Amino acid sequence: MSDGIASTGSSPTGLSETDLESLVGHRFVGGRYRIEHWENWLLTDCTGRDPLPDGLAHPIVLFHVPILGVGTSIAELFELGGVAGPGSVGLEGYDWEYIRPLREDMEYRMEGGIVTARRTSDDAGRVIDEFAFEITLFDDDDQVAARVTNRWVLRR
Amino acid sequence: MSDLANVEPGDDIPPWTMPLVDPARMRTMAAILRDPYPVHWDRDGNAAIGLPGRVINQGPLNLGYVVNMLLAWAGPSCVRRLSVSFGRPVLDGDAVTAGGRVTEVSIIDDERRATCEVWLDRAGEHVVTGTAVVALSTAPSNLVPTQSHD
Repeated sequence: MSDGIASTGSSPTGLSETDLESLVGHRFVGGRYRIEHWENWLLTDCTGRDPLPDGLAHPIVLFHVPILGVGTSIAELFELGGVAGPGSVGLEGYDWEYIRPLREDMEYRMEGGIVTARRTSDDAGRVIDEFAFEITLFDDDDQVAARVTNRWVLRR
Repeated sequence: MSDLANVEPGDDIPPWTMPLVDPARMRTMAAILRDPYPVHWDRDGNAAIGLPGRVINQGPLNLGYVVNMLLAWAGPSCVRRLSVSFGRPVLDGDAVTAGGRVTEVSIIDDERRATCEVWLDRAGEHVVTGTAVVALSTAPSNLVPTQSHD
């Protein structure tokens, strides 16, 4: 997953506009995810800082934990969007809400799906598709712990 | 942490710098994310997108630098909301600096919070921009105890 790459990529699938729009309402299977200590440690190290105290997870766990926990993957999202190859996918943006602190060794339940999808074009007339998915994380009291909306750009 | 009791609109958040974006960290991150996208580790493949010999940092890591700035400023459980957009890619070997400015201080859910403009700069160019909402009163006593690790 990259961000803001100038593209020469093309779609291998030729996803039609109708196919794209039909993604809206797609629900992920749902599931659970436990943030492991080693995983949080390595991820935090990748950001260039020391681990957080008290078993707190680094806030950027809200990228991969919801995707994996809801029962999908980056690879499956690429497949749903009908894209592959360098330059074919970019990050448009995130909107992440933290209702409760996220912690290691706690299991979160997740549910979510694709909420928007639309076709547009760039200044050169190349087709660009945008889609967004929303995933909610619930803690062991079944209270909402966090919610993410991620917007991706698919270049044809 | 700064003196959060006196935070007010217009205050700058102390910047946080990643002096060298490291391709080894991108590889580790790709494994953690289960991210098969080769732009983060295949230098040769990136010639096709005009970046021969370079690899592209993951968006979450770029955001992570912004988050690290917020954590250093307001504490380890301060982040309440992040709304960001990604601009140009950050590449291995880049130096980037996160910055921010308080735009509003308000009480939400009985908690004093700052709304902040945030950004990530590379050589004076914004590569990530957005808004963060940060709690200004996250004392350690507010945290639920958890088990410790060896």
